[in-house]
Amino acid sequence: MKQPAEAKKGKAAPKGKRNLNKERTKEKILAAALELFRENGLEGTTTKQISRKAGIAEGTLFNYFKTKEDLALFFFQKETNDLIRWYGQAARLQDAPLPEKLFAIIHRQLEYIAPYEEFIGAVFFRSLQPRSKLSPLSLESQELRLKYLRFVSDILAQAEEKKEIPPIGELGAYAVGLFYMGIVTHWLHDPSEGKQKTLALLDRSLRLGTTLLKKGGWDW
Amino acid sequence: MGLVKPKRSSLGRATRLARLGAGLTGSYLAYQLQRPFLDDREKEVRRQALGRKSARQIREDLQDLRGPIMKVGQALSMQTHLFDADVVQELAGLQMQAPPMHGSLMRAQFKGALGKYPEEVFASFEPEPFAAASLGQVHRAVTKRGEEVAVKIQYPAIREAIETDFRMLRTAGFAARLTGHLKESVIREAERGIIEETDYRIEARNLRHFATQLAPLPFVRVPRVYDDLSCERVLTMSRVRGVRLQEFLETNPPQELRDQIGTGLTRLFFFQLFRIQALHADPHPGNYLLDQDGTIGLVDFGCVKYLKSEIVRCYAQFWSREWTNDPALFAEIIHVIFGPEVSPAEPRVRRCMAEIRSFYDEFHPLDGPSRALDLADSKFMDGLNALAKTLLKNKFLAPDFLFLSRTESGMCNLLHTLQARVATTQIAREWMPPIRKTGQ
Repeated sequence: MKQPAEAKKGKAAPKGKRNLNKERTKEKILAAALELFRENGLEGTTTKQISRKAGIAEGTLFNYFKTKEDLALFFFQKETNDLIRWYGQAARLQDAPLPEKLFAIIHRQLEYIAPYEEFIGAVFFRSLQPRSKLSPLSLESQELRLKYLRFVSDILAQAEEKKEIPPIGELGAYAVGLFYMGIVTHWLHDPSEGKQKTLALLDRSLRLGTTLLKKGGWDW
Repeated sequence: MGLVKPKRSSLGRATRLARLGAGLTGSYLAYQLQRPFLDDREKEVRRQALGRKSARQIREDLQDLRGPIMKVGQALSMQTHLFDADVVQELAGLQMQAPPMHGSLMRAQFKGALGKYPEEVFASFEPEPFAAASLGQVHRAVTKRGEEVAVKIQYPAIREAIETDFRMLRTAGFAARLTGHLKESVIREAERGIIEETDYRIEARNLRHFATQLAPLPFVRVPRVYDDLSCERVLTMSRVRGVRLQEFLETNPPQELRDQIGTGLTRLFFFQLFRIQALHADPHPGNYLLDQDGTIGLVDFGCVKYLKSEIVRCYAQFWSREWTNDPALFAEIIHVIFGPEVSPAEPRVRRCMAEIRSFYDEFHPLDGPSRALDLADSKFMDGLNALAKTLLKNKFLAPDFLFLSRTESGMCNLLHTLQARVATTQIAREWMPPIRKTGQ
């Protein structure tokens, strides 16, 4: 990404501080955008509105995010970072059985995206388009994807070590990732109070999945 | 073929249910088809064989099932006219238990229901449940004001699961409906009852109702509802003192205390029946918490039966037996119990009423000194069981009566285990309503 913001201002701020400022601006833009998306929907929100709300020039906005997809990608980066930080601090979960760990992780993700349901719904379906930057196969989302997969892989490796599940290697993390996408789809369409149908589905399928793995159930 | 059978999944349930429906329905159909060609005695033999076969099959099939469908079995067991006596007994023995929730799911469900996590709302909260409820689990907690409470949390989307089960049951039972054995109204009634149980606000209402109504009995404790910490899927109640019957007996309570508790339980039963005309309908021993000071805690009001007053008045007649010299009264009772189309002269009617009379004459005599009934004596329990069996066999019981007699025998079982001596007859008469409505 180009970094022309400081060139225009002509200030020679130290690099660390510069990055920090940049990050703050990005977050300011994201917060403004998310609020507008909630009010007007993804399509109904203009870049003009976003820049005005964030208190920056419209041209500056494009320096940070070229498209709404870039904005969404930033949102998911933040979400993944938050998830990993949260899991590291969740002492209660470290000794929990695998289905509970995965339940807690996915539930945390759902809680994070819950306030922005419409926004998530809109970008989720965009991400299914092969050319979208949000597509799980795109170059732009690669870093984010690898970070998430590494995170899940570590958790599955622990479970393998504890003999909770047989060795399933790299495939396991991909399976969890796909499973998460399925759960989000269900969640987006879940009309039940407190989305409890999704909770039940999540609990039951994780239990069933672990049981199947344990008994070597794929072999049919 | 290494795939394990997912017993708890909807799919597994559907197949099993379909098998249950097809099996039952199949044999009923076969029986109905050959019926015109059989003489009466052979009919009876075949009917009994069918009953035994179905009973076994139902028990085996339902035992493998978990989750909401067990509730369906329980509800259907109230429909005496549907099944034979042994099938009814099998179904009544089912105990439903929702799958256990781990800490993360429990917290998620709690937050989904009340908007906050348990630890944000309570001063302390035990993550491990201390009891399983039929639709969820119960946790101990302390409120921010320092009060000890029990928090019942429902498994997510249990209502939807029940509705799915009923949809499948309707499909499975479709052919049976054709023969007139599984009426849609019956299924609807069963479903309504279970769905009601999934709404803890109804249970909260029952708790409040009973707490008010039972106030004249100072030895009974009913949990208080915390409205601000309760909703459809979470119910927060004050914790009542006391332990379950088995634990209570382990303390080797003296006979006087057994008698005191036994008398209390009996008074509680008849007060509910005759005064409130509504019964805490789950005579499961775990629902009574007994304390060394003689108080009784009554918990779990998910299933409460409000009784029609004519049913209560008829039942009171078992105790007063005024019908023996009053043919008009006798006809009235038969009308209420058996339905308007049944004649009081029918042999099975006479058999039932004679049986009732001799049982009550023996254990609850009309005259003579009112002595305490020793419920440790198995003679009484045997008599009660034999009576229940006769009545079921003769298709005596309307659903309300079945309900009543089951709750009563549950109570007697409790007293039997407690080995209490209770002046039952005297207690029953204390609150007995008059047979005819005043002014009638």
